[in-house]
Amino acid sequence: MINLIWLHEDALRSSHKVFAEAQENFQTVFIWDEAYFRQMDYSFKRLVFIYETVCELPCDIYKGEAFEVLSSLARSNEAKILYFPQTPNPALKLIAQNLSKTLDVVIVPDEPFVVLDKELNLRRFFNYWKIAQNRAFQHNGGD
Amino acid sequence: MLTKLQKQFSNRVQLTNYLAELSPWLNDKSASPIQGGEKAALALLELIDPIGYGITRNYIDGNVTYLSPYIRHGILTLNKVRNEALAKCSNHEQIETFIKELAWRDFWQRIYYLNPHWIWQDIELYKTGFQSADYSESLPLDIAEANTGIAIIDYFASQLVQTGYIHNHGRMYLASYIIHWRRIKWQAGARWFLQHLLDGDPASNNLSWQWVASTFSNKPYIFNLENVKKYASPDMDISPESNKPLNATYEELNKILFPLRVSQND
Repeated sequence: MINLIWLHEDALRSSHKVFAEAQENFQTVFIWDEAYFRQMDYSFKRLVFIYETVCELPCDIYKGEAFEVLSSLARSNEAKILYFPQTPNPALKLIAQNLSKTLDVVIVPDEPFVVLDKELNLRRFFNYWKIAQNRAFQHNGGD
Repeated sequence: MLTKLQKQFSNRVQLTNYLAELSPWLNDKSASPIQGGEKAALALLELIDPIGYGITRNYIDGNVTYLSPYIRHGILTLNKVRNEALAKCSNHEQIETFIKELAWRDFWQRIYYLNPHWIWQDIELYKTGFQSADYSESLPLDIAEANTGIAIIDYFASQLVQTGYIHNHGRMYLASYIIHWRRIKWQAGARWFLQHLLDGDPASNNLSWQWVASTFSNKPYIFNLENVKKYASPDMDISPESNKPLNATYEELNKILFPLRVSQND
């Protein structure tokens, strides 16, 4: 059994917490998903930037639709868990949600800029800054 | 049968050619001068000058970091960049502008998590005297092709498409021109930016467009040629004859661009 880490375009870093979370016995995958890139309407420049970044990372690159590739790898690896770096991106979240029907999807949050202990009024930056300011100037956001 | 793709290339041209074959749906197959990767990101991070940034960041050739594409794709975290700034300067006042810019990105991301439907919808009504229906849906070709005849607009439009990066002021000028001078929906401009900017992020990008439009701020953002002159780099044509629609006072521009709002206020 080899579990999967899906390194998507919002988490292209070898120090992402997702690696520590998966511990051992995992395969890390980036997917060249033409349908997704077309949906995002990315320029060639953007794709080169992303691909150059992925080439430096400890992962395999597969071509195909993300859902299909990950489902297929999960079957051949007999994977139980898909580690998924947290993202607000609805398109990626939907794919992860669909995969959660057959796999245990573990969402791994990124390191925070600041941890806020109050509920946020998101209408204006000013409201956020009042709460975040102190911790924003601390190493690791005071964490 | 799954297809595994190549990761080792002897140089950037080889990688670009390989990707060109993988991207048959795209016409323009040129790479940006901005290089991807953690190594490139860390090299730039070492060079940041958070104090100088606070002083000169508004100038087109000012001391900006060029870290945004790396932050956008998770290559660098806001946390790491903040920690580096703190290591370089412990005087919080001197690096406030720098830290605050990182905080803006954090703020936008939090909105994206909590209210994803805000990203493409008008969050509030336009405060321009016009309704959303008064704005056109699509981006005219003369803007996309950097052929408006307004020198500084064409300068930034061409930079966007050719490099995938523009200075923040250039983004604000383009956004303001598109929405308020041409009366085009902010969504059309936001889509264009997301397509080309290497750091294009739906939250930072679209919510900033909404800030310019006034659908996520208290008033529309406009600028004039005098403002451009203040921050311009030497290679920009800032002559009045090449930038006629921008060569006016804010009072004049408010009357021209927002005639209904001005009369409402009278």
